[in-house]
Amino acid sequence: MQPILKINLTDNTTEEFSIPKEWERDFLGGASLAARILYPYLTKELDPLSPESPLLFLNGPLGGTNGPTTGRFVICGKGAATNLWAESNIGGFWGPELRKTGYDGLWITGKAQSPTYLWIEGDRFEVRSAANVWGKDVYEAQEIVKAEIGVKGARVAVIGEAGERGVLYASICCDHGRMAGRTGLGAVMGSKNLKAIAVHGKNKIEVAERYAQLRSEANRTLKQDNEAKILHELGSASAANYAEYLGAMPSKYYHQGSYKGVDKISGSKTAETILVGQSACQGCVIACGRVVDLGDGTKRKGPEYETIVGFGPNLLIDDLVEVARLGELCDKYGMDTISTANTIGLAFHLFELGKITPQDTGGLALAWGSFLAARQLIHMIARREGIGDLMANGSRAFGKAFGAEEEAVQVNGLEVAYHDPRGVSGMALSYATSPRGACHNQSDYFFVDWGHTYDEIGINFYERHAQAEKAANVAKHQNWRTHFNSVVICIFANVSPQTQVDLLNAALDLDWTMEDLMKSGERAWNLKRAINIRMGLTAANDKLPKALLEPYHEGGAKGFAPDLKGMLAAYYEARGWDLETGKPSKQKLLELGLQDIAKDLWS
Amino acid sequence: MSAIFPSEEWLKELEVKINSDQHYAEVARNWEGDIFFIIEPEGNLTEPLTFYLDLWHGKCRKVEYNPAASAHPKPVFILSASYNNITAILTGKLNPMTAMMTMKLKVSGSMGYMMRNVPTVLDFVRVAQETTTDIL
Repeated sequence: MQPILKINLTDNTTEEFSIPKEWERDFLGGASLAARILYPYLTKELDPLSPESPLLFLNGPLGGTNGPTTGRFVICGKGAATNLWAESNIGGFWGPELRKTGYDGLWITGKAQSPTYLWIEGDRFEVRSAANVWGKDVYEAQEIVKAEIGVKGARVAVIGEAGERGVLYASICCDHGRMAGRTGLGAVMGSKNLKAIAVHGKNKIEVAERYAQLRSEANRTLKQDNEAKILHELGSASAANYAEYLGAMPSKYYHQGSYKGVDKISGSKTAETILVGQSACQGCVIACGRVVDLGDGTKRKGPEYETIVGFGPNLLIDDLVEVARLGELCDKYGMDTISTANTIGLAFHLFELGKITPQDTGGLALAWGSFLAARQLIHMIARREGIGDLMANGSRAFGKAFGAEEEAVQVNGLEVAYHDPRGVSGMALSYATSPRGACHNQSDYFFVDWGHTYDEIGINFYERHAQAEKAANVAKHQNWRTHFNSVVICIFANVSPQTQVDLLNAALDLDWTMEDLMKSGERAWNLKRAINIRMGLTAANDKLPKALLEPYHEGGAKGFAPDLKGMLAAYYEARGWDLETGKPSKQKLLELGLQDIAKDLWS
Repeated sequence: MSAIFPSEEWLKELEVKINSDQHYAEVARNWEGDIFFIIEPEGNLTEPLTFYLDLWHGKCRKVEYNPAASAHPKPVFILSASYNNITAILTGKLNPMTAMMTMKLKVSGSMGYMMRNVPTVLDFVRVAQETTTDIL
């Protein structure tokens, strides 16, 4: 990996940080390496929106090499709403462009005195006024910055108004709607008065000859993969019909177990109606991104599964065009669609319960199915107006403000995504133990519960309503996906473990086995856990919200609720974690080569 | 009736079962599409083998044993798998979703239609499993 450029926005000083070789060996790159780098700085006392709070943009070791889905990068720090470890994985073209400058990361601290953007071209570094772009949406801002720097091929990572105003689930965007959506790192960026980072590089990304051969073979195989073909043709919302059938697609804010309108908003329907093309991140042969026309002749980003379910079934809206518009509005403001739709769902739910009234909403009636109410709330959240100011702090804080924190469907301050553990029980552990709150990407175990196994690394199939018996399997799957987040590849890349080992060995001149790969994932998973323990997380934080523990009365998951207590006990045992405190055991940390972490946690 | 897979008798028996299975008739009531199966040689199967099934609204209108691909140039779906993987599915040792998601069963055709009708496909597999009394 190339050096990281450290930038202090308070005094505009920079320095290069060379990544220790042993850290590269043990953590590869991406989120795993970021956790190792940021470990000393992520303390309980650190305010995520303070100048001291670090924001680290980091590539993986294969970034921009045109291997299977290797065009992605991560952004890491302390979560704005969660106060825990934060990472968000993003595609587009920005990461590979950064690599071409000679840096593999940007480590930003401090706070600019006024709105600012950064311009990095090769070893040239400029801090520029963002006066012209502050207040602009993520697409306008990118265009203005590109016009100001006037360099063809430059890429811009940017926040929208939500990040400027400190919405705690603000995202960071690059290219046309590629979003680092989760954990509110857009708010962290905004707190530094940093609107955008433009990068352009001229260096060629060199790869070994053996890697070049392997990546071509891997890409050819990936292109023929059933899942890749489905994602290309239908996008991630291809999952909607089957998820609904299983009772795994929540509707009416996780209180209704089936949704008859699913076929009006599914990936299949999208493909048959509004789809006009596909878009891909750098080097990706899948191209799951949707390009749609909503009837006005304009080609725009179309919604993926989370946005469709969040603004569709979750709010009982079955108008695909309006769902797409709600998603687009969030993108323009730079807000995570999962958290925004979830928090709006909570508002609808509390309105129905009578816990909030028209007096609280400024007269707005929050009726299920009303896309107009949802649209108005999005504006109010992004601008922190009226009840939107409370909602901008996330569903946990919003529920608490109305004495109903237990109604919020979130874990540790991160809103639950749209894969219901009552339909696919493995998600109970995925949500409860994820290092960044209720995340579906640290372990998209719903795919395993559908049947996606990995024989080579012992990830097997357990019946979708099996419980404690699948705990060790979930842990293995988390380790596997942690590997993805260190190389920074997409979870849609159905590339076999052996092929991934071969690609890494060829690119980095390693002699890894699959066991080494899985151990690397396990090491980083435990490191992130240790970071959270230091920031105050305990075993009591490994929980699920009330709604997910109550069985549905209808649909494919009727009558089932996960026994989280039993699942967690088996999970802790499989992980080698202390049952009482939730800490990784000293023995486990030492086994993983994390001696200094063991000393911190157990001395 | 004995239905040893793979054989023409097995395929005929599958046709009978599909046309008499009430659950399948209900689940597949909207299904419109023919399927061309290609079984790649492996183990006890030494030559490629094909099946053709014309499935329509919960019924099977026609089956053909080992037809040439040219006889059905545009089926709605082409499914292909090795002999061992097909027999593993038929004996319940391999989950059909696992087979599809791990490329042990390759699918060619309208993915939009397939993803809308996963329960139909899974119920078709159930009927095929119940038809199979033995494996060659």
